[in-house]
Amino acid sequence: MAAPEKHYVDVAGRKTQVTTAGDGPPLVYLHSALGEADWLPSFDVLAEHFTVHIPAHPGFADSEGLDEIRDIEDLAFHYDDLFAELHVERPHLVGQSLGGWIAAEYAVRWTEKVGKIVLIDAAGLRVEGAPVPDMWMTRPPELAELMFASKDHPLYQMMKAFQPDSPPPAEILVAFYGAQQATARVGWDPYLHNPKLERRLHRISRPTLVLWGEADRFVPVAHGERYAELIPGARLERVPDAGHLPVIERPDEVAKRVAAFLTP
Amino acid sequence: MNFFFFHLMPYPHLPDDFEKRYDSAWIDAPNTLFDPEKGHDLYNTYLDDLVFAEEVGFDGVCVNEHHQNAYGLMPSPNLFAAALARQTKRVKIAVIGNALPLYDPPTRVAEEYAIIDCISGGRLIAGMVVGGGPEYFSFSLNPTFAREKFNEALELVVKAWTTPGPFEFHGNHYRLRYVNPWPRPIQQPHPPIWIPGVGSLETMELVARNRWAYMGIPYFHLSVFERNFEFFRQACEKEGYTASPEQMGWLVPIYVGETDEQARKEFEPHVWYFARKLLKGINASPPGYTSVRSVVKIVESIDKFMLWCDTWQQIEEGSYVICGSPETVREKLEDHIERLGVGNVLGLFRLGSLPTESTRRSMTLFADEVMPKLRARFG
Repeated sequence: MAAPEKHYVDVAGRKTQVTTAGDGPPLVYLHSALGEADWLPSFDVLAEHFTVHIPAHPGFADSEGLDEIRDIEDLAFHYDDLFAELHVERPHLVGQSLGGWIAAEYAVRWTEKVGKIVLIDAAGLRVEGAPVPDMWMTRPPELAELMFASKDHPLYQMMKAFQPDSPPPAEILVAFYGAQQATARVGWDPYLHNPKLERRLHRISRPTLVLWGEADRFVPVAHGERYAELIPGARLERVPDAGHLPVIERPDEVAKRVAAFLTP
Repeated sequence: MNFFFFHLMPYPHLPDDFEKRYDSAWIDAPNTLFDPEKGHDLYNTYLDDLVFAEEVGFDGVCVNEHHQNAYGLMPSPNLFAAALARQTKRVKIAVIGNALPLYDPPTRVAEEYAIIDCISGGRLIAGMVVGGGPEYFSFSLNPTFAREKFNEALELVVKAWTTPGPFEFHGNHYRLRYVNPWPRPIQQPHPPIWIPGVGSLETMELVARNRWAYMGIPYFHLSVFERNFEFFRQACEKEGYTASPEQMGWLVPIYVGETDEQARKEFEPHVWYFARKLLKGINASPPGYTSVRSVVKIVESIDKFMLWCDTWQQIEEGSYVICGSPETVREKLEDHIERLGVGNVLGLFRLGSLPTESTRRSMTLFADEVMPKLRARFG
């Protein structure tokens, strides 16, 4: 596999960072609020079968244009423009958390323009009795507990060590704050969901896999069950030893399952 | 030189172990801790404080807006300003301010300010604020639109005062087909506008461009104020004029006692009540509330914030509060006013759980023994 290439695409005037590798039909990975827009070694498996694109959402990494993103629908349109710009046709959409929400918003609008869909611990719904804790009211150490299954992940440990009076170095802070801001833009209110999404899910007519970290205490698996119930033909699979971010916590396992689902 | 008496209307009856049991005095501090019977007494006493400020000779009184917290019990400062417009005869009434994005449509602010200005006979100072970080949690209001909404709302309010109505306003956040507020303010073209800031350049440039007044938000080390007022003066120079002292206000807790020793003894417990209980959580900075660039700047001065002070020595060294005998307070203020170049001192006299008697005595000593000397010195 050739080394992943980071390049920039002009999307209706918005400079957008995209990392691309592999060969074959297009697969677009939509990242979570964490902003994991760099190449993950575990994606090598996917790059054997697909041309994998990892765009950074506006406001994340080097992607610009958050000013024009006013709500989640604008992100769906942003991706429709990006796909046209990249000349990708019927891409498979794989999205984690915020990225899963975007994938769902895209698919309810343009289901015929999508290959298959993988929603991983996707935000986007409000499920009575299964609230999503307020990520902006919860301090990083407690958030770490909600998000991770494993206590030895470096990110878990970094979040656990956070102290309000001794913040991380400016570089990390800027990336973190930028990601938070871009997430808040679409997810502050209504909180990490679109009240209209649920009743639109029936419009998705493409094969859909719903993957959920078994130990996700942030977006509870009840949300995965709701997605699987409302998207015609969708299947729910639980990922063991994973919390809210299986792509971060169990990358090999996720890549294996995604590859199995996408390659018939 | 103008001296204002600034009231926060703090809740002084929090349990002793409050800071151990709760993360914050803001947003989600349970409102069952507020005792309405005590509230009756508090509100009346606090309004009396403000009237008393006029009696002893302050030039103005200030109220402000905060929601869902124990730090300041004035979710609607205009209610208090309206009462004061009736109960006082001479002082300026500065509302610092109305948090514009929390009013929808913000023409409400143009209306209520005009009422206060009419009742008071033109004594209103119209403060306009973005609202504190915690307010964006309390209102579930998207903080990434805070600045945009504030700027648009401010434009709308000023336009409502200066453009004969009715007219149409078409913005990104506010679209009004008939802007035509009755009444109009007595001060023409509009009451003086004051805008507070923590140091964001955008705010300073806005204030400088319009020749309004800039207030430094308190609880920072004196060096932070020095830097910010210097930036503000530079912003005015860029607009082609020299900032006048009247365009700058410094908000600072003040306590005057008989002697330095006595003053500290009387004041210190209430300073800690304020810093440890009431300030806790005020630093909540929701995402997008300030630009990424400003956040880095604010984080750099985080150790210069009162919340992180552990000792009285730190409090004194940074002039987080000015406390002492009349002579000491005069000396310190003279030095600081000179250094900051401000023409308005906004004193917080009722800090934390400070009792009424101490508050009034300190105000009287300040008015009798400090203000005249500072006036003689600075005009």
